[in-house]
Amino acid sequence: MNPSFKFILALIISLEISLKISLSTNFAIIILAIIYLLIKRIKLKNLLILLLVPFIAAFTIFATLEWFTPTPNLFNALGLSSRIYVYILTISCVTINTNAEELARSFEQNFHLPSKFAYGVLAALNIVPRMKQAVKQIRTAGMMRGVYLSFWSPVLYFKAILVALNSAENLAQGMESHGYQEDAHRSVIIAVPVRARDWVWSAIILIALNLALFILK
Amino acid sequence: MITSKNLTFSYDQNIKILDNLNLEIPTGQFSLLIGPTGCGKSTLLKVLAGLYPKYAGKVSGDLNLNGLKSAIMFQNAGEQFTMATPREEIIFALENLRVKQADYHKHLTAGVQFAQIENLLDQKINTMSGGEQQRVALAVLIAMDIDLFLLDEPFASCDPQARQFLITKLAHLRDQGKTIILSDHVLNGYQDVCDCLFQFAGHHVQQLDSLAKDKLLQTSMHQNNYSFAVPQNEAACFTLNKTQLTQNRLLLSQDQLKIIAGKTTLITGANGVGKTSLFNALTKMLPYSGSLTYHNREVRQQATRKYLLHVAQIFQNATDQFLSVTVQDEINLSKKQRTNGFFTDEKINEVLADLDLDQHLDQVVYSLSGGQQKKLQILLMLIADQDVLLIDEPLSGLDHVSSQKVMQLLRQSQKKRGQTLLIISHELDGLADWCDYHLVFADKQLHYVTK
Repeated sequence: MNPSFKFILALIISLEISLKISLSTNFAIIILAIIYLLIKRIKLKNLLILLLVPFIAAFTIFATLEWFTPTPNLFNALGLSSRIYVYILTISCVTINTNAEELARSFEQNFHLPSKFAYGVLAALNIVPRMKQAVKQIRTAGMMRGVYLSFWSPVLYFKAILVALNSAENLAQGMESHGYQEDAHRSVIIAVPVRARDWVWSAIILIALNLALFILK
Repeated sequence: MITSKNLTFSYDQNIKILDNLNLEIPTGQFSLLIGPTGCGKSTLLKVLAGLYPKYAGKVSGDLNLNGLKSAIMFQNAGEQFTMATPREEIIFALENLRVKQADYHKHLTAGVQFAQIENLLDQKINTMSGGEQQRVALAVLIAMDIDLFLLDEPFASCDPQARQFLITKLAHLRDQGKTIILSDHVLNGYQDVCDCLFQFAGHHVQQLDSLAKDKLLQTSMHQNNYSFAVPQNEAACFTLNKTQLTQNRLLLSQDQLKIIAGKTTLITGANGVGKTSLFNALTKMLPYSGSLTYHNREVRQQATRKYLLHVAQIFQNATDQFLSVTVQDEINLSKKQRTNGFFTDEKINEVLADLDLDQHLDQVVYSLSGGQQKKLQILLMLIADQDVLLIDEPLSGLDHVSSQKVMQLLRQSQKKRGQTLLIISHELDGLADWCDYHLVFADKQLHYVTK
């Protein structure tokens, strides 16, 4: 499915289930999402992380509403805690077979998001591993000169910010040197098509979601 | 003809980097810019590329590119990429230039074949070696099919074969009518290729006549035959035993190797073979498997803080080494943990003057030129008290005079203090004749050679 459609769909699903509690819908979405993830061959380890990490948040909400309120309500408690899983799993369905480049490209072509936005974010994402490496290197550089930089050391962050500023400056120049101009028209080499089936599937999913939300409890 | 009239450029009011430049650079030819570090070569290239004064500084005077489409390759190629992989970057650049989808493959193939990056095309750029990044940066420019190539020390991290190969390829481009303006400190390999030689001197630039040009390029042609000893039963500083290093792919698989204490060992090898990764493993920045010991103690088991006070790396990229703001701050920081008698305050001042850094004491380290940063970085790490220094490309970005001075300093310090130096370098002039041993890194192995 088109990356932008998937993204918007996940957003709508999350918004709608935030407005109305329907336990069965939540569970239906969770099960369908897990099935989708399995079809897309998610690694078992990643799936376990996806299920275990949100458990802390989900359990906290459940405990608060079921055990620590004057009027416990199992329906609300389950409804709210299962939402956490809906959010996490629907977004995982978006990210499992879409990378940042595809999403940015799709936003640019299908939603006409300004290119400086799409590529600015992408470029920033590409700086992240560089920053990680830089922090490691700064700490090593410090230790080699008898300066121990702990993770809360101002010098570490001063240096990291300098590296980031410098990278940002170079990046802007780098983008321009590779022909990028703000607001200029760009050609499309890798097209991200919007197919009829994207519309059809989106419609089916949305109708099913709304029916489920209002009919099922 | 690319012409400039009274072109003046300054970063701030006081210091003019380029002063009333009147240049005529012929189009369709191969021009080489040379000059000492910090003289303004990179600045001129960025002005030609139209990045300055947009991003920094002030310009006055006229510049006429004759309508040529230009693009620049940065000195630090790794910081020029927007996307994660070479393929994505080339697509990004081509879309910017509004290249049609039908022509994409033609452009891509041209760039990839030129720089021979077939095997790198879908690898993450930030995991590549310095030399590989330079080849990728060049590939992007070729794919963009521009008229004017502005290349800022494009081969500084390339091994000699890659360098010679790329120079020849650039000459072919020139023959197809492209204009190439390139800055470099190493003049090797340009004698048959370079059409015009421009020399920077004191904020001015002059074109050398063909006689002077040939003379300059010829003298750097000499082929030196260096000879090295092979270590016998000397005490080892590092001992490798079934050591393996992996980054993206297996880089090193070494059965047995001793690196000798108190000597200088030169390490050479092709781009991306894993030289810097070896240094990273020796400074605990990259994990290894098997055994790697420092004076018979396993490196991975040693406390990092203590260990790094004995074994330090002088990074390929000078700014990675800096921790303070101004040159003076950096010097003071290094003085703090100095106990050796070699670098007294007087000696430090003398060296600063010798390296032309004494006028820059209050300057922010990040605003120094690439070559000045390199000189400062090496001095800082020499002042500190390490027993072992791993030096990654000490001569990159340095002009001939500076590199002679830096070599002199390294040699002096090593002799007086008996430090163990491991030096990675593609540039052998002035270095190879005083290194004790020579390790060649090839086929995932390090071995000592006599040549």
